[in-house]
Amino acid sequence: MNQAAPAPKDNQGDPVVRIDARLKVTGQASYPADITTANVAYGALVTSSIARGKVSKLQMDDAKAVPGVLEIVTHGDMDNTHKPKFGNTGASSIGPLHDKTIFYDGQIVALVVAETFEAAEEAATLIHADYEDEPPSATFESKGVKVEPAAGKSPMLKEDAKAGDFDAAWAEAAVKIDEKYSTPTQHHNPIELFSTTAIWQGDQLTIHEPSQNVTGWKVELARQLKLDPANVRIISPYIGGAFGSKGPMTARTAIVAIAARRIGRPVRCVVSRIQAFGTQTYRAETRHRIRIGAGKDGRITAFGHEGWEVTSRPDPYVVGGTSATARMYNYGSVLTHVSLVHADRNTPGYMRSPPETPYVYALENAMDEMAVALGMDPVEFRRINEPEKEPIEGKPFSSRSLIKCYDQASEAFGWSRRDPKVGSMRDGDWLVGMGCATAIYPTAVAPCAARVRLTADGAVRVQCGSHEIGTGVRTIAAQMAAERLGVGIEKISVEMGDSTLPPAPVSGGSISTASVCSAVMKACDAVRDKLFAAAAGNDGPLASSANAKLDMADGKVVAETGKSAKLADVFKAMRVGAIEEYAEFAPKGSSPEALSKLYAGQPEFHGGEGDKDSVKYAFGAEFVEVRINRYTREVRVPRIVGAFAAGRIMNTRTARSQLMGGMIWGIGQALHEATEIDRRHARYVNRDLQDYLVPVNADIKQVDVILVPEVDHEVNPAGVKGLGELGNVGTAAAVASAVYHATGKRIRDLPIRIDDLID
Amino acid sequence: MSEAKIASGLSRRMFMTASVSAVAAMPLVNSSKSADQPTSAKPAGPRDLSAVSMRINKQPYNLALDNRTSLLDALRDHVGLTGTKKGCDHGQCGACTVLVDGKRVLSCLSFAIMNQGREITTVEGLVSTDGELHPVQQAFVDHDAFQCGYCTPGQIMSAIGCINEGHAGSEDDIREYMSGNLCRCAAYPNIVAAIVQARDEIRRA
Repeated sequence: MNQAAPAPKDNQGDPVVRIDARLKVTGQASYPADITTANVAYGALVTSSIARGKVSKLQMDDAKAVPGVLEIVTHGDMDNTHKPKFGNTGASSIGPLHDKTIFYDGQIVALVVAETFEAAEEAATLIHADYEDEPPSATFESKGVKVEPAAGKSPMLKEDAKAGDFDAAWAEAAVKIDEKYSTPTQHHNPIELFSTTAIWQGDQLTIHEPSQNVTGWKVELARQLKLDPANVRIISPYIGGAFGSKGPMTARTAIVAIAARRIGRPVRCVVSRIQAFGTQTYRAETRHRIRIGAGKDGRITAFGHEGWEVTSRPDPYVVGGTSATARMYNYGSVLTHVSLVHADRNTPGYMRSPPETPYVYALENAMDEMAVALGMDPVEFRRINEPEKEPIEGKPFSSRSLIKCYDQASEAFGWSRRDPKVGSMRDGDWLVGMGCATAIYPTAVAPCAARVRLTADGAVRVQCGSHEIGTGVRTIAAQMAAERLGVGIEKISVEMGDSTLPPAPVSGGSISTASVCSAVMKACDAVRDKLFAAAAGNDGPLASSANAKLDMADGKVVAETGKSAKLADVFKAMRVGAIEEYAEFAPKGSSPEALSKLYAGQPEFHGGEGDKDSVKYAFGAEFVEVRINRYTREVRVPRIVGAFAAGRIMNTRTARSQLMGGMIWGIGQALHEATEIDRRHARYVNRDLQDYLVPVNADIKQVDVILVPEVDHEVNPAGVKGLGELGNVGTAAAVASAVYHATGKRIRDLPIRIDDLID
Repeated sequence: MSEAKIASGLSRRMFMTASVSAVAAMPLVNSSKSADQPTSAKPAGPRDLSAVSMRINKQPYNLALDNRTSLLDALRDHVGLTGTKKGCDHGQCGACTVLVDGKRVLSCLSFAIMNQGREITTVEGLVSTDGELHPVQQAFVDHDAFQCGYCTPGQIMSAIGCINEGHAGSEDDIREYMSGNLCRCAAYPNIVAAIVQARDEIRRA
């Protein structure tokens, strides 16, 4: 057909067109700020212009005089609510209007509500704050930061991974490198602006807001506002890009809800792009020291990874990617340590492959340096250090197809044509470089519920409180239902993104396909059981057929003998018009309260490094060609090839798109993205899409995705590994190694910019 | 079909009154001598409305809007056409792209009242009366040229503009002339493939 729809290989599903494609190309897909709301008033945020201190006075007279201004919510107005909590559902423990302390630049100090957007914006600019300000600590090495060990501060990193005697192995290693790497602050910048629309009907509150976690937010918002969770509803049918930014709820949601309650009208607050930089989460700035020691044969004997990460004053947000880097290769001995650096900044949060993107970048850039030090081909170096078992606890991998990925990607890329000598490949005025790196992402799964209804006409309705953030999860849930119930995909409708639906876990950590498909499969199988019992029962149309030998196909119940019964006839025999089943799925190893925790918005994650029987990861290998102009030093990426193995692929079209998008994210991390900070004022400088650089169409040329067949029955009943976050892990290191190959310059601090490459 | 729609709660009679002052105010908006304009001590507010008439997706609309209302906010908040998206409000992302008199325009950078008498086409105006998708829309479906779908209306309108301008001759041209439309999901290669397909189909037609 076309490149967007790769032909499925073994254990891969058809490249079905997204079931919501027509809605998305006709403008009919409703994102939360699109919902028509009668009598809505408009909110505009006012944010702090200092990073540390106190608000002593807010001058609001001019703002109140603006015609159309209805209300200004500020300090004191949230007194009857609980402060936000930091955790999986809450972005930060800072309640910006709960007291007058300023923890970071861009913190909310007021919300203006007016009849029109224009009046609200105008009034917001007229509010002036008087501050008692103190000099802030912006980032690493700023005076006044507090450094502490990260392990044990967050469930993200229970302890620092270690194995064997690192010091002895490091001392004895014949070949070693000891280098430092860094990654900058980055902001998700989904193209959809952040927004909250709050509507009260009596004591019932409805929130329209883009969310990756409607169930978690319902519970947390109810806690903050002292409401019964049953009276809170979060609706988020389509999400205009998330990448982690819409996972934890921010303080704004409750503030907008309070504003709506005070004026007795719905309030919509669409946050400006500039204000999103301070009021939403971001990827923490990180620094790394990596030590690798090996024998002359290239076998690694010592691996040390120390990390430092910036977070806010009160919240221990931990990136903690050493859990994965410590298990990547057959190291011999391992020593890791992660430190938190508390500064006067907003609390960071999850951003696409939160731990792995920065930590695996550092590891893989170091692996390339080590291959150079050993005089070894970088692919061969990884092959030699391929582990039988993970080195920390000696557990097996549930499946690991990394070498297959390297083989297929390197062949498609033409790695054998690479001349390993630095600076040896040229094309006119362009220096050509080629590099590669490993991608890894933990495979996790969480409890999930789903409801499936089948009617006599073969129509199926799937309901699940998961979230369509662009991954294609609606389509995949429909495919699963179509497959289990033997009907065409056009017969399936899928409802998601509403906290009144059966609860699903947060759409983060690449768990949605596995979790949602497992729950939908379970509900469909319960529908099948009912149909089969009726079909094969005494009065059923397949009365003589053994129950266990039945299947569903082409809108019929089919017996092994080839005899079949139309759905309508089975429904007639049952004397019902619809069969509806509600299923709760809990992964292997779940605690007895795992499902009740799901309803409470606190789903348990299983998999990754945490399971007893094995560690579970998806892997990939990425190869990049860069071209660097010999005069201007501009860097171009004409092609990138990635091969990925992620268990069962539900839909090769949506899988390819996600991996392709991920690799382009990786190119952005390598060459474009960085939120610059003014160290004197702890203030972000490039707070818009003009100055915060992301890849544009002209930055990207050929992107090839290879889906490597893999079967893994251990990970979950659906056999699915997530891949939404796999694609952008390692990419930046592959680009850095290609830049080194082209120029001989080893760039260790991202992003790689022209000024890094000028002699 | 041709009956004028009145939005923002204005009656036809109120519109007639308001339109007089709108005509008077219009030239000042584009005038380089706007500094000469007498300034009012009272800040502009929702009561200071101007009338503007335009055709949107072939339907006439008479609107009374705050002078500061962007074409984007007029479409979304006053006409109810929310297919056009706000991604930055600063002309930096392209999500709000519409066609004005057939040319692609960033609707967030255009005051609504600057569009007096103009023909606006949004993503909602592309499907044929029998429900058939525009070739660009169909190509976006065929090539999975989106993920979250939020930038998609802007990409599609911009693609139509790009093809009409004759800037879709090569893949490199398409990449260059579509670089004002950011896609954070990064469906770029699929967007280029979709535009190639639609370009060829439109040329054949």
